[in-house]
Amino acid sequence: MTSNSGGTVLAEVVSIVEMKAVPSNAIMLNGLPDVGLVGLIATSHIISELKLTEIAYVDSDLLPPVVVLHEGLPHAPVRIFGNTDLVTSFSETAIPADAVQPLMRKLVEWAQSKNVKLVVAIGGMPVQNRQDIMEPKVFGAASNKSLLNLLSEKGIEILKGGYMVGPYALIMRYCAERNVPAIALLAESFYKYPDPEAAAATIREFNKISGLKIDLSKLTEKGEEIRLRARDVMKRTERELGRMKKTQEYDLPLYV
Amino acid sequence: MSERQRRRSIFDLIKEYIEDVEALAEEFSEPTFAERPSWDVKSCCLEPLCSVFVAPDEVIVTADLPNINPDTIKVKPISADALEIRAEMKRKIRFDEFGITHRKGEFQFFRCQTGIPVRVDMDRIKTEFKRGILEVHLPREKGYRIKVE
Repeated sequence: MTSNSGGTVLAEVVSIVEMKAVPSNAIMLNGLPDVGLVGLIATSHIISELKLTEIAYVDSDLLPPVVVLHEGLPHAPVRIFGNTDLVTSFSETAIPADAVQPLMRKLVEWAQSKNVKLVVAIGGMPVQNRQDIMEPKVFGAASNKSLLNLLSEKGIEILKGGYMVGPYALIMRYCAERNVPAIALLAESFYKYPDPEAAAATIREFNKISGLKIDLSKLTEKGEEIRLRARDVMKRTERELGRMKKTQEYDLPLYV
Repeated sequence: MSERQRRRSIFDLIKEYIEDVEALAEEFSEPTFAERPSWDVKSCCLEPLCSVFVAPDEVIVTADLPNINPDTIKVKPISADALEIRAEMKRKIRFDEFGITHRKGEFQFFRCQTGIPVRVDMDRIKTEFKRGILEVHLPREKGYRIKVE
């Protein structure tokens, strides 16, 4: 059961159904559909590269009535994959704007219940001159000061001010509230076009943080194919980003 | 019990009513771009992701064109306020490459048509293809000037 801001107990609107044993003390990645599908492309590559298996799925009436077929069998569109050290959320459909808050709250609550040692949100940060950037820079945010120091030690520039909007923004907020260690790795990216190069840039930084050595060669090779395949999810995600007022990230905040 | 059913105050009901009206208005005002397929078997075309940005001096149309041969890109005005972008793919794409076996067809071209929301000079179009993205610059036609005293 979760409670709303007024303290009233609500029926659970999002549940996570576990199908296999879920590891304790793992790192949890989150890269749900957002600008440039950066996190989605990155987590998809990591799932395939590390051969992560499906361990749980998300069930919620707030998600569209969509089932994804793989080899003829139905799957929930929002799932959790993992091995003994790493778990990651993964979505094959755009997350409706109305579902983002309850879903992210549930994912963070679940991460805490599994004693996740670090939540890592992967995403993009749209820049206007993306075509001119050969190697997208990755910026970082963290849920506490010691993690900010860790990011700085790894040479990742910190986002010091401004607005964050969308799934990764809520991960940072809910993790900070619950004292769950969390960082966000955000690469310069396109807003409306799938961006495999930005995804690769975030994985490079994630390797530094996690000590993993996730190979990027297949992601680089398949860049064009990914852009071709990701068009429809990108289109639907763009619509939901509009509903989330994602462009508020461009706004200059009022500090008096 | 749903969140909506628990609300009791008249202010909540009014707020809900306004939210419903706003959501309906938003739905009707949205283009139906996502409600049709991004492919057309008859013309062997896939629709690329495309966007239109209106700047003070020009309109910039961009399109994401992966897997194309840059020499085949064609940009042409189809009316005073619409543009067609077309490009041939380096290799044909079939449905089964997407894991879909219940549809038949293959795609050889990217094609999209996009409206231009303000008046532009279609004779002075400039195009550039950089890192897989086509950029079309359309200078805006000058309107009248208001003298500021």
